[in-house]
Amino acid sequence: MQAELLLRAKDISYSEGGRVILDRVSFELRRSQITTIIGPNGAGKSTLMNIVTGLIDKYRGEIERASDLRIGYFPQKVYVNTLMPLSVARLLQLTHSASETELDHALARTEVGYLKHRQVRSLSEGELKRVLLARTTLGKPDLIVLDEPTSGVDVTGEIKMYELIGELRSNMHCAVLLVSHNLHLVMSKTDQVLCLNQHLCCSGLPESVSQHPEYLAIFGPQAADSIAVYAHHHDHVHDVSGQQEEPRHD
Amino acid sequence: MIEWLDNFLVRSVIAGLVMVAIAAPMGCLMVWQRLAFLSDTLGHAAILGVGLGLLFQVQPIFGVLAVVLLIVFSLSQVGSFNNALSETTLAIISHTGLAGGIILLGAMPSQTVDIEAILFGDLLSISLADLLLLLITSLVLFFVLLIHWRAFVALSVSREIAQAEGVPVRKLQFLMYTMIALLVAVMMKAMGVLLIAAMLVIPTTTARLFSRSPEQMVMISALYGFGALAGGITSSFRFDWQTGPAIVVCATMLLLVTLATMGVRSLILDRYRIDQKSKT
Repeated sequence: MQAELLLRAKDISYSEGGRVILDRVSFELRRSQITTIIGPNGAGKSTLMNIVTGLIDKYRGEIERASDLRIGYFPQKVYVNTLMPLSVARLLQLTHSASETELDHALARTEVGYLKHRQVRSLSEGELKRVLLARTTLGKPDLIVLDEPTSGVDVTGEIKMYELIGELRSNMHCAVLLVSHNLHLVMSKTDQVLCLNQHLCCSGLPESVSQHPEYLAIFGPQAADSIAVYAHHHDHVHDVSGQQEEPRHD
Repeated sequence: MIEWLDNFLVRSVIAGLVMVAIAAPMGCLMVWQRLAFLSDTLGHAAILGVGLGLLFQVQPIFGVLAVVLLIVFSLSQVGSFNNALSETTLAIISHTGLAGGIILLGAMPSQTVDIEAILFGDLLSISLADLLLLLITSLVLFFVLLIHWRAFVALSVSREIAQAEGVPVRKLQFLMYTMIALLVAVMMKAMGVLLIAAMLVIPTTTARLFSRSPEQMVMISALYGFGALAGGITSSFRFDWQTGPAIVVCATMLLLVTLATMGVRSLILDRYRIDQKSKT
């Protein structure tokens, strides 16, 4: 039996200034599945994300959303408005209020409870990413959309970030849609990879996509080996901001 | 009707208080959304509105309203305010409005136009009608701000997050621009077209130095605004300065004093911490 269908995109096309950015892209998002969009720069990844979240509404094609679909969005670049005084707790409640317990739970999910009362403008890049990830979980979303969640974070921090995302999926039973242009770190946990280059070149499990001729044509043969790099081990753990944590044994 | 409103000082103090009170939240939102330049542009273009009002022999305020609302509407049709182009666009509108306005005013018989009052305002000569207009408009703006405050703040922090979470971003932005246009139109009489932006930006910038939440910043901006108002009106009486410019200068003085105080304070605190550290 397939998991509950949350969103179906059918033949999505989009052009801007006479340039085709998306060309008849179709896919489905299901509960508890992680879908990763990969593709070169300018492939239309962010545009597709923006169409899914509703930021862009002038597209052609159809998007069916499950009724009352709650989306938690993690933008690529949060232009942190340094002109604004804003605590982390307040950032979490930007559009909806939450109880103190809910805030604590959300921040604990991404291990940043200690940042609750800090000013957003004083956070490091890695801290901000984790706070924003916590934020996306707050409204108990059915679908979490993450646009390049690890840009500006170093490789070990990136691995940690993907681990957190994997945990969110299992703990919250939500679908995850994420964009990555870092081929080397497409998660091993990904259920579905969409390889995008204006049109959908290929899609499927990470292993099958990595052998697909169109994928190889875009990213080169060496990319085939790199897709599962994530599945390796460290003798210590870094957190998202790159700081070494105590070794974990499990 | 109410006799004490006949006193020009009472009228101007009330007008000043109302203006400062509405300038605080509006100014904060504008600074957060980097729209300070928009108020400046609308202010300059308002001169064209005054000119048109006189040309068609209607109240200047109607000319101003027509011009600023038209600008806001056409800008929102063209697209986003927040791209690189918009700065040049705004500069062109601003200076064309100023130039066109000055030409129109220059063509008027000189006794009908007080250019100085248009440019720098005259809080002390505010009429009962002006005061009522300012009061009613400010009340409406307050009401709209109260209803949409959370959404406006969300929009200021991140347009993307707000949109994705169901805030009607485009509508609210248009609403925001319209509100700025209205504010500029009713503040013109008191502050003059050239000084409106200062009143919206300077107290806000001072408040930003040590606020910890958006609402706190609004409250502190209002306090600084009241301070500037009191200082401005007092010095206007004492030294016979023009009221609008006096208020702006006082606002900047408060900013400088606050900056200096904070600088000295952090120097002392740093010294103290280093001392503590070397002791341990």
